[in-house]
Amino acid sequence: MAVDEQPADRVAALFDAHHQRLYRLARRLTSSADDALDLVQETFLRTAGAPSSVPIGADREEAWLVRVLINLRRDQWRKAAVQKRHDEHTSPHQPQSQPDHGSAVIAKATVWCALDVLSPRRRAVLVMRELEGLAIPTIASQLGISAITVRWHLSRGRRDLTRILTSPHGATNEDRA
Amino acid sequence: MKTVPDLLRHADPLREDSAHLDDARDRIRRTVIAAASVAPLRTTPRPPRRVVLSTVAAMAVVAVLALFVASGGQQTLQAAVRFEARLAELRPVPGLVVAQVATSRDVIYLHPEAVVTNDDVARSSVLQDGPDDFGVLVEFLPAGEQRLRQATTAHLGRLLAILIDGEVVIAPVIRSAIGDSAVISGAYTRAEAERIVAGIGRH
Repeated sequence: MAVDEQPADRVAALFDAHHQRLYRLARRLTSSADDALDLVQETFLRTAGAPSSVPIGADREEAWLVRVLINLRRDQWRKAAVQKRHDEHTSPHQPQSQPDHGSAVIAKATVWCALDVLSPRRRAVLVMRELEGLAIPTIASQLGISAITVRWHLSRGRRDLTRILTSPHGATNEDRA
Repeated sequence: MKTVPDLLRHADPLREDSAHLDDARDRIRRTVIAAASVAPLRTTPRPPRRVVLSTVAAMAVVAVLALFVASGGQQTLQAAVRFEARLAELRPVPGLVVAQVATSRDVIYLHPEAVVTNDDVARSSVLQDGPDDFGVLVEFLPAGEQRLRQATTAHLGRLLAILIDGEVVIAPVIRSAIGDSAVISGAYTRAEAERIVAGIGRH
């Protein structure tokens, strides 16, 4: 950020440089396009509150924004989990129809429901590695965690996803931990 | 069964709805830039409630909320509240009027003419500012936008006061010129933000 650069200019530059990347990530971490747009907007609104706290340099900016986005998503995910537990506790159990896991092609919706069970960080690691094709060190740098932790999330994420998709009962409590 | 990467690629939502960002990009861009345009004045300890206002009109809305709360919260707000935004100073200058900011108790000095009023607001809407936080997005009519932009451009680093019925409710420092829209980014509930929008009168 230049010495004489105004906060609004700084935020505009950050938005122009990174909004597409953030939307792609947000869309793969949420259930709908609207949720993804809300998440991107929230991320930049946090930035607008303290633009000087964003580090200088494209890679560092991107990493900072990615972390904010994932932390926001984690907050949403935790609140939704609490609400779900509350609903399960206060409402009569409604049996849910199970998808046909024997089908040769598993429905997209089934895959995305399974992803919803994973924690946002684990889901982000899977998305960044399997869909975005990022290298392990790059993911580690963007998320601010070690490469070993990335590999652990990747391994567990693949295993969890496989188990959820092949289990006749779907997600288990262990998956939500 | 396919491998996990195959399944993820097959189910990737971006294969179907990547155009969504294009539709909303300009709106989100305006919103976040407006939020970065103004910083609250904090020469005294912060009030208990977090109030981070991003623009003039947005902050005026806070006053509407204050009036609503003071009234007991039972009546529907109407746009009959007089809203003004004026340039202001931290130090006394001949010709300016002394005033006290209601939320912070700061003493400031008001310029005599209003830059924008209720008549300059084109539209307002509720904005989700966080998982449980809501704010208000305010958009100005062209004439008001032009006056506000000119006034704030020439007043960078100094104050902009929001008045409701003649009382200063907040006076942030102008960090950059304020344009066509404004955001109130406070920790409000959805119901509070909706009441604020109703108070502005155009939505």
